[in-house]
Order: sequence, then structure tokens, then C-alpha cells
Amino acid sequence: MQLILDHVSHIYDAHTPHARGALRDVSLQIGEGSFIGLIGHTGSGKSTLIQHLNGLLKPTEGSVYADGKDIADHEYDRRRLRGKVGLVFQYPEHQLFEADVFKDVCFGPKNLGLPEKEVELRAYEALMQVGLEQEVYNQSPFDLSGGQKRRVAIAGVLAMQPEVLILDEPTAGLDPGGSREILSLIASLQKERGMTVLLVSHSMEDVAAYADRIIVMNEGSVFMDGTPAEVFAQADALREIGLNVPAATEVCRRLYEAGLRVRPDVTTAEEACEEILCCFSR
Amino acid sequence: MRGISIGQYYQADSPLHVLDPRVKLLCTLAYIIILFFADNPFAYALAAGFAFAMVFISTVPLRLILRGMRGVLFLALVTVLFNLFLTPGEELLSFWIFTVTREGAEMAAMMALRLFLLVLASSVMTLTTTPNKLTDALERGMRPLRVFRVPVHEIAMMMSIALRFIPILSEETEKIRKAQMARGAAFDEGNVLKRAKSLIPLLVPLFVSSFRRASDLALAMEARCYHGGKGRTRLHPLRYEARDVIAYLIFAAFLAGMIVLIRVF
Repeated sequence: MQLILDHVSHIYDAHTPHARGALRDVSLQIGEGSFIGLIGHTGSGKSTLIQHLNGLLKPTEGSVYADGKDIADHEYDRRRLRGKVGLVFQYPEHQLFEADVFKDVCFGPKNLGLPEKEVELRAYEALMQVGLEQEVYNQSPFDLSGGQKRRVAIAGVLAMQPEVLILDEPTAGLDPGGSREILSLIASLQKERGMTVLLVSHSMEDVAAYADRIIVMNEGSVFMDGTPAEVFAQADALREIGLNVPAATEVCRRLYEAGLRVRPDVTTAEEACEEILCCFSR
Repeated sequence: MRGISIGQYYQADSPLHVLDPRVKLLCTLAYIIILFFADNPFAYALAAGFAFAMVFISTVPLRLILRGMRGVLFLALVTVLFNLFLTPGEELLSFWIFTVTREGAEMAAMMALRLFLLVLASSVMTLTTTPNKLTDALERGMRPLRVFRVPVHEIAMMMSIALRFIPILSEETEKIRKAQMARGAAFDEGNVLKRAKSLIPLLVPLFVSSFRRASDLALAMEARCYHGGKGRTRLHPLRYEARDVIAYLIFAAFLAGMIVLIRVF
């Protein structure tokens, strides 16, 4: 699935005294099979941007195309689009409502109008994928732990078998262990199923570790768009808009400035470790 | 869910905004009461003139107030129709089973005007007073009821918490609505029964989150040693100033004018 944003601007409460711009002339292409990190400050327009990708928000100006079709068209089936472009909101466990876990996960595929067998099969599959034990399937989602609830919520979107999966801060409020598990789960799903993943995050480390492309938003516009090495090489520009580079990049950059022969554009701790060891063994 | 106008506050810097909330509450109450005694066009003219003068002083755009009044339009219409057709008296015109009497027409016009002014006055009050100040005034005003063991402070606290939660819950509703729509839910399809059923994925999480918020808030209040109104002092105690006295005097003059007009005609 190919998503294209063509000069998209969005103004909340347009034509009222409360009008405020959230997106300004954003043009992006989201291709197939990539793992994209979307970073930016609170209020930089990240959440507004992702809601345009599945048609929850309509652009005030510009258009969004999914596989070449304008999704704002009257005849366009936005519900089907939402099945293909899965969106997991922040704190997705707050949307759980069914009497048991399995039924809740069935909600999405059922809304797509699939036959009951297919719905149950997909729900079962999704729950397996997020690594939940069978004994919780019949429990009330409200009796689960925070990390388990989040898995159920993510399974609820996965069960629609989306081609593009968008996650808004999926690790917010989880402990380090829980976050790592969720992130590696997403990374493996992306590889195994060839999904496109768009991960909205505050953590430079997380984004650096998994993404092969990073989009930086600032004040409603795309500030940078490139590979992690390209983006994090511009540490000063990032710092100017109040963002940091990953700690590993920062360490290597300072070593490089101090005269050590390490690459200054590493992005992960593993890479940094390798570089430094390499430098000392020379 | 957007645009709930109950308790909506319009930020501005007008003489009405800075008045003590007790003045506004008491005067609005008195205004509404005297409105029900008004029985001639002169009294109504004075009352309407006073209300519009207040709107002008408040600097709130009249358009905004009128938009907030659309909700009572239906009620006003029903009242007018009932009065128009069901008041016995001198016949003006009649067709089929409907008869319009002179008394009926007068009554209907009066009722419509009365309802309009009533809502107008209370809108001006809520638009120029923050909900918190209003509950403060209410707490102060109900203080005598403590003699009858009415938990005045607790009622006021509950009211201000409820008001505070309206925007939060409306935001939350919007969030959950979008999250369920992302899972393919549709809230505007099918017949009444289907629509009511489609609200379950919205209402259950909303209830759960309200309870969670309530218990968080209770905990946060207890952590700061909240124990009800006993011995509690205020950061901004309500104190009458010269302008409040002047406002009372102006309102008293208006009241006197109303009473004279009602008595004379």
C-alpha cells in the first residue's frame, strides 16, 4: 500500500476564533515495507499527521492518496482503508470495551464485514502474534496488567491485517522491559509480514534502533526526512528545535571531536561499541 | 460533542467580568423573578433594555449568545403554540379546530419574550463568570443552609469538579470515538437500534475512564490532606468592592423601575 500526502495542511476549528494550524504544507510518500520513525515535539503535528493517513481527519488543503486514489472522495470506502491502514492510538488499552479479550480483538475484523470464521481466525492469529497466553483469551480485558492490556489493544488492530501499521507512542507508560518487548514485537511483525510501520516516538534510541527512515516534524512541517545516519548527523539543527540525538551518537561525536578516529554518524549502542573497540584495537 | 455551551465562559475584560460573582448570581435570580411579575409592554421594554445593555457592557458578541440559545428554541416554540391556541377569550381568527384569541396572542408574545429574556440573562451571567467563581458564589449563597446540616461545601465541590470534567470527558469521548473508528466502527449508520448498539464501544471505555479519573482525583485530593470544608480557608476570598456596591445600586434602581411600571400599568 502506497500512501502519498500531497501538500496537506490542516487547521483545527477553521473559520472560528479558535482556529489553529496543525499541519503546514506537508508532502510525504510512505512506501512499502519500510520502518519509519516519526519524531517531533508535543504539538509538532505528529498526531494530526497520522490521523490523515487513515482518513480520520480531512485535510483543510491538499490531498491524501492511497494507492493512487484520493481518500477524501465521496465514494471512497474509508472503512476499508482503515482496515488496511491500522492505527494504534496512544494508550490504546483505554479503548477496550468487550466482556472478554477474544471478543474485543474480534471487533475490528467484524467491522470489516468478514465472515465469522475468518474473524475468529484472524483474532486468534493476532493474539498469538502479540504473544498472549491462551488462558487470558476468555478473561475480561479489565483484569489484565497494563502491558497485557496494551498487547490486546494492538492485537485488536493487527486482527484487521493492515498493510500499514501506525503506532502512536506504543511504549508510553510501560517499564523498560515492557517497552523493549513491544518494540521488538513490532519489528518482527514488520519483517515477517512485510508491513510498513510508522512509529511515533519521543525516544531517539528506539527510533534509531528500528527505523530505516526518520521523519522529523517541527511546528506542523516536515523538518527532516532521511535515514537515521543522515538525520542524526545534523545534531545541531535537531537541538535547535529542542530534540536530541541518541546517546550513542552523542558519545561518538564527542570522541570524534576529541580526536579519536570513530565514525561520528553511528546511531545505536551496538554500533558505537563496535566503533570504539575498533578504534582501540587499531 | 464539541461546542457544549452550558457553563461556557467568554474571556474578556469588561466591567461585568470583574464583578463579584455573588452580585451576578443574585441579580440574575432577582431579574428572572421580576420577569415573571411583568405583565405589560412597558415593563418588558425596560427589562429587555436592561438585558441588552448588559450584553453590550459584557462585550460578549450577541451572535455568540444567540447561537447558544438555539437549544431552547424548541421549548419556546411549544410554549408559544400552546398559549396561542389554547387561551380562551375574544376571537381574532379561527380555522378548522384552531382558534386564535386576542388574549392568546398577547400571552404567547409575552411568554416568548419572557423565555428569551430569561435565557439571555442567564447566558450573560455564565458567559462572564468562570464556573469556579460561580460555584464559589453558590457556596457562599447557600451557607445559611448549613444550619439544616446541608453539606454546602461538598455540594459546591462536586459541582465544580463536574464542571471541570465536562471538557475533559468531551475530549476523551472524541479520542475513543476516533480509536474505535480506526477499528472500523461506524457511529452514523443503520437504524436507531443499531446506532444505540454502536455506542457501546464508546460508552464502556468512557465509563471506565471516568471511574479511573475519579479515583485518581480522590487520591490526589487525599494526598494533599483534603478533608472537606471544615476549617478550610480560601486563596481568593470573595470580598465586596466599591464597584459591586455600585452594581447593586444600579440593579436596585432597575428593580424599582420595574415595580413602578408593573404597579402603574
